[in-house]
Amino acid sequence: MKTNSTSAPIPTQQVKHELRRDVTVWGSFMWGYADVGADIYVALGLVMAYAQGAASLVFAIAGSIYIMIGFAYTELSSAYPVAGGGPYFTLRGLGDFWGFVGGSALLLDYTIDIALFAVGSAGYINFFMPYVIGRTPESFVISIGPLHGINPIWCLESLIIIGILIMVNIRGIKESSVLNSFLGAVDLMAESSVIIFGFLFAWKPEMLASQWKTQFPSMHNFMYGSSLAIISFVGLESISQAAQETKRPASIIPRTSLTLIFTVFIFAVSFSTLGLGVLPWQNFAARMGDPVAMLAHTIPYIGLIAGPLAAILGATILFISSNSGVMSASRLTFSLSQFGIISPWFHAVHPKYHTPVRTIVIFSMIGVIQTILSFLTPSAMDTLGNMYAFGASLGYILVFIALIKLRFSDPYTPRPYKVPLNVNIKYKGRKTSFPILGVIGMLGVGTILFEVVLTHTIGRIAGPSWIILCFMYYVWYRKRDGYPVFGSIKHDWEAEQIEVLTSAEEYDLLEQYKLALAERDKKRKEIK
Amino acid sequence: MQPQVTLLGAIIAIVFATSIGGLLWWMLHPPAQIQPAVAKARHAVGAFKRILVPTLGVAYSEKAIELACRLGTEQKAEIVLTYVLEIPRTLPLDASIPEGEAQGNEALERGKAVVELHDLIPILRLERAREAGEGIVKVAKENEVDVIVLGIRPSWHGGQNIWGQTTDILLKKAPCEVIIDKLPG
Repeated sequence: MKTNSTSAPIPTQQVKHELRRDVTVWGSFMWGYADVGADIYVALGLVMAYAQGAASLVFAIAGSIYIMIGFAYTELSSAYPVAGGGPYFTLRGLGDFWGFVGGSALLLDYTIDIALFAVGSAGYINFFMPYVIGRTPESFVISIGPLHGINPIWCLESLIIIGILIMVNIRGIKESSVLNSFLGAVDLMAESSVIIFGFLFAWKPEMLASQWKTQFPSMHNFMYGSSLAIISFVGLESISQAAQETKRPASIIPRTSLTLIFTVFIFAVSFSTLGLGVLPWQNFAARMGDPVAMLAHTIPYIGLIAGPLAAILGATILFISSNSGVMSASRLTFSLSQFGIISPWFHAVHPKYHTPVRTIVIFSMIGVIQTILSFLTPSAMDTLGNMYAFGASLGYILVFIALIKLRFSDPYTPRPYKVPLNVNIKYKGRKTSFPILGVIGMLGVGTILFEVVLTHTIGRIAGPSWIILCFMYYVWYRKRDGYPVFGSIKHDWEAEQIEVLTSAEEYDLLEQYKLALAERDKKRKEIK
Repeated sequence: MQPQVTLLGAIIAIVFATSIGGLLWWMLHPPAQIQPAVAKARHAVGAFKRILVPTLGVAYSEKAIELACRLGTEQKAEIVLTYVLEIPRTLPLDASIPEGEAQGNEALERGKAVVELHDLIPILRLERAREAGEGIVKVAKENEVDVIVLGIRPSWHGGQNIWGQTTDILLKKAPCEVIIDKLPG
């Protein structure tokens, strides 16, 4: 499949793929889990504050949509095991312009990742504040003129965390698969223990029922909460990041990503159900900074240890997630520059440390600005989550459209995993399976985007403004380099796919792919 | 907080632990890796989209048809069945030989029944040639087949040519792979 060309092709030597690491099944799973598994530490308090007695339902609804998104990512990541993620799939399916839109939405999310998880990490550090300095973090809240509820200490802590991340990333660090695996495994056990012990010894079904019955949110809050719940699943992109660096991704990724999707879904629904059966939702709303640690602290037998342990794990794992925002922004800009979506200028390396210094500084500084501005609003976490939801839902819609389009435009690439629920239809004389779930998922994410625009005052202005800003840059860059703005640059996807499958050591798929291409060429010859 | 155990809570805890444990177990048991040579071999057979089987309407020919069908089932291959009517050099190639034609059509119809049992598409060709081998090669070329499956007679009387003339021509001139199936004599 070749995209229509309207301009000079990008030199093939420019499109190079990174060397693959020998990431194991467990390592691949933990890579994602360290990223996505951390989300509940931030999302629990935030969603509870709006979804109130219906928090479990909200997590279940958002989670169901997330599962469909996960299915789409699993299919695309195992079929195209490269690190570009959503924007890459969009670019392949829909062309350069939509690839740019998906890329800019994701870039917005990575900058928010940096800010949101730095704020979250600082929130869990603050769990120890009363024990260390004898004051609660809330006691530092001040008002400046018309702005109320500003917490300068929490803001400062978050900025220090981002500052540390900028420094270590400029000096150059390697994402440690071993560290991720270790922390992820400890976190998995700790979260599981809290849930199991919580349901066994602390959970009161009558309390859950009472909150459901008497504390059901208004429609506005329900919609707001369900659109925020999507942040429990931040980091889906890590599935495709892992694909790039895992051996035999087509065999491994479907298993690790499906396990990741369902694990995170089970955790999100379990934590909210447990939380509502143990404490009033107002407690979580009041402790948005460290809701999991607070919940763990109340569990009989293990609370004394589980509370501080959850706080330490929360602070650490959210720090790593914030760092993955910095690194992912850098990976994404590299990927986008390879395909002529943004200038390679972004990827210039530091003369001494050989790290992509411009990307690190620019996108981390955007994270800094977002952090400062969010602390000027009544709830920093809420504001950041608000903006995140816009970027994520826009990016996911494009991924769903790309999924459907690629089933038709690139039926030759073998798909070791397919989104379930397909109907076979004839298209250009060839049997193609149309993904019904792709359409349902697209409508589901579309609903979330609609909710965001309808209910998120900041998200509906800041999100589109960011995309417009990026579009202005895109037009300038593409015109300057003689590339079409709405058209696509010529890409030799077939050669690239062969290269990708060979480097992934997916020989079975490689043979399938070559066979499908040979068959197609034979048919074309027959027609001629 | 005072511990409080409820039946529902205990059930949820067990379901939770089982679900997470089950998911992790499934994840940690992926299929084994396929080596490049194995993958090539696997897909080389998968590449048989059109299979030619010469038939004489005898048992070993029909077994070859069955074999071809099983080779082609997974990829829904087309099965080209041919009966080559050998015309003596003393007669023109288009000479009428009603008895031979009837025998050929009967053999092809029987072969067709075997193919249809497998839900595959049969293509029937009654070919005229001076030598059966030459006729088979011609059909193979015209139909661009990927492989020829040839059943040969089980008996061998100790002569030098174990294959017979048809097989010999096929092995020398066939434009594609040839699979020979010889029943024990």
